Amino acid sequence: MISMPVALLLLLIFSSMISIGAVSWRPAITVTRGGKILAFFILFCLPTLCATMGFSSEMERSKSTEFCLSCHIMEPYGKSLHVDDPSYLAAAHFQNHRVPAGEACYTCHTNYTMFGTFKAKLRGLRHVYVYYLTTPPPPEKIQLYEPYDNRECLHCHGGARSFEQGAVHNADPDLLPAVKSNKKSCVSIGCHEVVHNVGTLGNVKFWNRGQ
Amino acid sequence: MFSKNPLEQRLQLSGILLTLGLLVETLCLLWKGPLAFLVFAGLGCLLLFAGILVYLFSLVSIRHQQE
Repeated sequence: MISMPVALLLLLIFSSMISIGAVSWRPAITVTRGGKILAFFILFCLPTLCATMGFSSEMERSKSTEFCLSCHIMEPYGKSLHVDDPSYLAAAHFQNHRVPAGEACYTCHTNYTMFGTFKAKLRGLRHVYVYYLTTPPPPEKIQLYEPYDNRECLHCHGGARSFEQGAVHNADPDLLPAVKSNKKSCVSIGCHEVVHNVGTLGNVKFWNRGQ
Repeated sequence: MFSKNPLEQRLQLSGILLTLGLLVETLCLLWKGPLAFLVFAGLGCLLLFAGILVYLFSLVSIRHQQE
C-alpha cells in the first residue's frame, strides 16, 4: 500500500522524468531565453526537489518499526514487544504506547542529541555491514555498540511525576541524581534490567492485541 | 538522436543521468526492503548529483566558449 505522500512524490518524479526526456530529446529549445529558464527548472530545480523529498521520505521510512524488523535477525526483538509481562521494558513501552508503536525501535534507540538521527543512521550502516559482510551473532547474543545512555530514557521520563516522585526512585536519595548524571543505568541489575531478553522468549506468554 | 553540438550533448548526458537517478529513486520508493535506503542514498543520489553537476558544467562551459 502506497501512502499519499509517496504517491505524490512518485507523481512528481514521473512528471520530472517526462520533462527531462523532452529537454533531452530536443536540447535546441534551450537556445532561447525562455528555454534556458525552463531547462534550469527541469534539469536543476525538479531533480533537486525530487532528491530532497525522496531522501526525507526514505529517512522517515527508516524510522519505522516495520523497517527495523524487516531484517530476519531482528524478528525475536519484534516478538519481544508482544510479551505479556510488564517487567519486560520494551514490551511495556510498546503495548502501552509510551513510545509511538510505529516507531518503537527508533524512539528508544536513537540518540537525543543534535546529530542523533544521523548517528542512528550511521549505526544502521554498521548493522548492514555486520549483517551482509561478516557473520552476524545469533539474536540472543546481540549487544549494543555502547552502554545504553539514560539520556534517551530521560528525554521522556525526565520531569515526569511518576519518575520524579516514584517511591522506588526516591527510596535512596542518591538514586535520582545518579540516574540523571548517567552514573547508574536505568537498565542496571535490580532496576529495569529485563528489556528484550530474547533468549527467554520460549518461556513467556504473549499478548494478543485486541483479544 | 544524439546531438552533434557539444553543449547539447552535455544536456543530453545530464538528462540521461537524471532520468536514471529518478528511476532508481522510484524503485527504492516502491521497494520496502532496508537495502532500498542504501541503494537510494548510494546510487540514486549519486546519479542525480552527477546529472545536476553535468548540467551546471554545461552552463559554465557556454560562458567559457562565449569568452
